[in-house]
Amino acid sequence: MSGKSFTQEWWLQRISAVIVGLYALLVIALLLINGTPSYAQWQALFANNAFKAFTALALIATFYHGLIGVLHVWPDYVKNAMVRSALNAYSWLAAAAYALWAVYILFFLK
Amino acid sequence: MSEQTLQKTKQRPVYRNIGMGDLSNYRLPIIGVASIVHRITGVALFVGMILLLPMLQMSLKSESGFEACRTIVWGNWIAKIVLIGLLFAVIYHLIAGVRHMIQDANKWLDLASARSSATAVFFASVVVTALVVWRLVA
Repeated sequence: MSGKSFTQEWWLQRISAVIVGLYALLVIALLLINGTPSYAQWQALFANNAFKAFTALALIATFYHGLIGVLHVWPDYVKNAMVRSALNAYSWLAAAAYALWAVYILFFLK
Repeated sequence: MSEQTLQKTKQRPVYRNIGMGDLSNYRLPIIGVASIVHRITGVALFVGMILLLPMLQMSLKSESGFEACRTIVWGNWIAKIVLIGLLFAVIYHLIAGVRHMIQDANKWLDLASARSSATAVFFASVVVTALVVWRLVA
């Protein structure tokens, strides 16, 4: 799958799940308390460095978790080797591109 | 052995190597539905990032981008369905994930609790999704 041992992968999948889960709970709670934010509130939230760092961590964890997830899901349904390789390549590329894109949005967007 | 008994035995499935085409012959129990929905929501979120990341970028770039995002989300019903779907996917995948990790700890593995917790995951995620959507619209 990813070259790592399966035990390590098993743990990383759960650790990343907890990080993403806590972040999702925070955002859902904020939405429930505040409702739809105004632009000023949205800007202020992402100007907070702790929230920004947590967002970056959660997004990277999301893409890692998603990559491992889909790499396990594809072979259960796709038996054709060519299609499977294409899906695996798409998954790796998408996860890497998402991660770079997220870092750009959070830290380099002018 | 009479002709009739032979025919009776013929009606029974001979082997259980289930392929995609045979799936409609089997009733998937709620536990199985919970499992496949966990997979579908996971894949949907992985693929759906291609929509969510540009929306995050737009919303943070400028006030006009932020307003454009709101218009896209609430302005047409296809976007509404897709985004409420992705919201449900996050909430379902999270709650089903908690159940998964409880089962990793060897709890809720007997048939009765596996069934009731699978049902509870569906109810809880629909309720929480409805609550968030209601809060965003109100």
